[in-house]
Amino acid sequence: MEYVGEHLWAGELGHIFVLSAFGFGLLSSIAYFIAENKQDDSWKSLGRMAFYAHSVSVVAMVGMLFFMIFNQYFEYHYVWQHSSTDLPFRYIFSSFWEGVEGSFMLWMLWHVVIANFLLWRVKDWEAPVFSVIASVQTFLTSMLLGIVILDYKLGSNPFTALLREHPDFMNLPIFQVSEYLTVLDGRGLNPLLQNYWMTIHPPMLFFGFALTLVPFAYAIAGLWRKAYLDWIKPALTWTFFAIGILGTGILMGGAWAYEALSFGGFWAWDPVENSSLVPWLTLVGGGHLMLVQRNKGTSVMSMFLLITLSFCLVQYSSFLTKSGILGDSSVHSFTDLGMTGQLAVSLLFFTFLSVGLVIWRYKGFPKPNQEESIWSREFWMFIGALVLLVSAFQIGFSTSFPVINKIFGTNFAQSAERITYYNQWQLPLAIIVAFTLGFTQFLKYKSTKPKAFLKDLSISLALNLTLTAAIAWAMSISNLLILMLLFASLVATTANLDFMIRILSGKVLKSGSSIAHIGFALVLLGALLSTSQSETISQNTSLFDIEVLGETYDNNENILLMKDDTLRMGEYFVSYRGKEKEGHFIHYEVEYMQANEEGRLEKIFALYPFIQLNPRMGNVAEPYTKHYLGRDLYTHITYAELEEKKDESSQQEHVIQLGDTIFGKASFMVLDSLTTKPTKNTEGLTNKDMALGASFSLFDINTNEHHLMPLFVIRDRQYSFSVADSISSAGIKISFEGIDPTSESFKFVVEEQEANKKEFIVMKAIIFPAINVLWLGCILMAIGTFIAIAARLRRK
Amino acid sequence: MKKTHIILIVVIAVMIGAMIGAISDSSSYADFGEAFDNPGDEYHVVGQLSKDKEMVYDPLSNPDLFTFWMRDVNGQEQQVILHKSKPQDFERSEQIVLIGSVENGAFHAHEILMKCPSKYTDGEVQEKPHA
Repeated sequence: MEYVGEHLWAGELGHIFVLSAFGFGLLSSIAYFIAENKQDDSWKSLGRMAFYAHSVSVVAMVGMLFFMIFNQYFEYHYVWQHSSTDLPFRYIFSSFWEGVEGSFMLWMLWHVVIANFLLWRVKDWEAPVFSVIASVQTFLTSMLLGIVILDYKLGSNPFTALLREHPDFMNLPIFQVSEYLTVLDGRGLNPLLQNYWMTIHPPMLFFGFALTLVPFAYAIAGLWRKAYLDWIKPALTWTFFAIGILGTGILMGGAWAYEALSFGGFWAWDPVENSSLVPWLTLVGGGHLMLVQRNKGTSVMSMFLLITLSFCLVQYSSFLTKSGILGDSSVHSFTDLGMTGQLAVSLLFFTFLSVGLVIWRYKGFPKPNQEESIWSREFWMFIGALVLLVSAFQIGFSTSFPVINKIFGTNFAQSAERITYYNQWQLPLAIIVAFTLGFTQFLKYKSTKPKAFLKDLSISLALNLTLTAAIAWAMSISNLLILMLLFASLVATTANLDFMIRILSGKVLKSGSSIAHIGFALVLLGALLSTSQSETISQNTSLFDIEVLGETYDNNENILLMKDDTLRMGEYFVSYRGKEKEGHFIHYEVEYMQANEEGRLEKIFALYPFIQLNPRMGNVAEPYTKHYLGRDLYTHITYAELEEKKDESSQQEHVIQLGDTIFGKASFMVLDSLTTKPTKNTEGLTNKDMALGASFSLFDINTNEHHLMPLFVIRDRQYSFSVADSISSAGIKISFEGIDPTSESFKFVVEEQEANKKEFIVMKAIIFPAINVLWLGCILMAIGTFIAIAARLRRK
Repeated sequence: MKKTHIILIVVIAVMIGAMIGAISDSSSYADFGEAFDNPGDEYHVVGQLSKDKEMVYDPLSNPDLFTFWMRDVNGQEQQVILHKSKPQDFERSEQIVLIGSVENGAFHAHEILMKCPSKYTDGEVQEKPHA
């Protein structure tokens, strides 16, 4: 069949770019390899030319895919899968990298951008460094080839995969119509990603990932050339740039989770979060060992291992998320595209290359004449780096359960108490890191006089002990480990602040590292205070609480709010005022009140947590947070009836005696007494009528008491009828339908309005104290890193 | 013995400790059969929602309590008591992972993970809204 309106040329062109990117990448890598081994400049120029051609191909292929998404070429599976006609323009970028193929392209694009900058400054390191970079690019491009070799499909190519040829879709009737493109719409972007954080977090994170390639390439080049220390100087700035960007990218992910996901926090130790944190930790360790090397040749092996492993761990992180192996255990992971084997080969290649080279070259590493003194700064930087390695190992090992299960056929699963589990390991390690971060500022390189050091240290310890006690008292913290970390991070903050002011006399350009360290300490401090002292204030205070199943399972962390009822929640009184539908969103207005001086409730603010409706991918509750300087009030809907309630009512017949109670769904009614002289609802009755009034006390969900008096009337001794009574605020209508004199029982029909009684939301509210300390720390860390880099660039 | 060696031994010891700790703190994937044979032990049970069976969520009584039936991979059906609010869009879930244990003869879950429907492989296409 001839299909009308397809843009097959676009895919063919894109496919050519993929092939040329692969070919030129491979050529460049080989040419540079020969250039280095033969020290031959003509091979080097060939390698460079090939790398330029590779770069152009990568840029063109990225441009092509973006063009296809922008122009909504839904005949392509990738475009169809990640975008739709109603997708706002600002999310077009997000749909580019939502899928595995696009995220590989983003990663490669960053490599190309970084490498072309590097090409300017790399000078005589060009051949070995670019041989490594080009080989990495070749492996990455192979993930996009989509070629079948000996029954094995190499990579997944977004340019050749047409929707109508996809096995899941090819038999659909729509593809029997040659003009199917006039009606076909894309499936659209996952609503969770339709958030501004998601347009900046992935590129930032991938930028950080991509930057780890530079120190890796230099380290391999250094091992290759047996120039074990010479590579450090040109690579150092890049390493700390990578640390700054990757750290920012990871924390942006935390900010996204906090702002847009209803996890209830900024860090959940999710496997995907962990897998991006692990290479950052090793890189920080490795970067600091590089600093030590500039001054002295010690711990060379640890430095090489940490730097090369950081890049391999970035690959491992990509393996975990993209192979689909995390399927059951993470919210972020992709589904399997059949690339697990290929990803594993790439990962193993670079890991064996790194470890193999380090072992092979080990004998030639410079050895120090004597051990470092315990009073030297480098000794403690070495300790700090090792602690970071242990921390990375602990996180990495636990995150790897799915991989371990696959390889060894075991059956481990992460404990549900994930946060407690990680904290119990990471807290002591963080304490050591924070302490070293603090007191190393009082130590000098090589050796320090113990006396002067101990004097500085004791002043700092005394000051911070006081501060810790004050904060602990103000926030009523009693857990020993938490107190120790609080103390340690205060030591780190004040020591660096002191160093900045006293030693550097406040010179901004020189204080980059101090600012970054203060930032890091504040991140620890903020994370510690906001999570350990967080308080779930939403508790079920509704009167209908029935503790069905004993204490152990009583989570009791959600509050049920009936519309317009006011309930106490923490220090507030809250009331659910109603909802408003706006496009794909339902906003729920929740009013917060506090008692004023006269004791009357006064509205202080309203929060609008919302639910994003998406019939295709499921509805998502998103949080709404009230920010104060010292704390946040974080709320999200945990349950709400989404179907519009019709104005239905249910009727139920009750035969009761005097004093009995009728239970409604949201209220109950007691038949108090009967009277032959009713005082209510008597309009329209004549004095010939015999009227019997039933006096009811009705208690609604707020325990407000109402009175009803339905009547049973006998007219002219001939016929009877009933006069109903109702309380609209409770949605209850009672009619008196009959009398049975022999059993002294009475028949009532109770009508309950569904609409009135069912409008409610279930909500969760958490107070996060001092979370702004965390964000301030993030910003300082980024600023400090960039000042340090600016200072280094200026020195050059 | 040099300082560095001592430090390396300590580091390796802590790493081994971390491995042992991770394994001893872990729970494991299981089916209902195994979970019911070992009441009190935490398991991850994978299965599917039994859509024909009763689901009870009465937030007016307790917003943190939801009961439903799940069929595990071996086809065994059990009632599950989830001590959380009913997840949004629960009916549409394709696969469920429960984390919890058997107490007093019933499976009590304190955590639930859901795979939402056919995000990636459904054989359905949409038409343009205006077409």
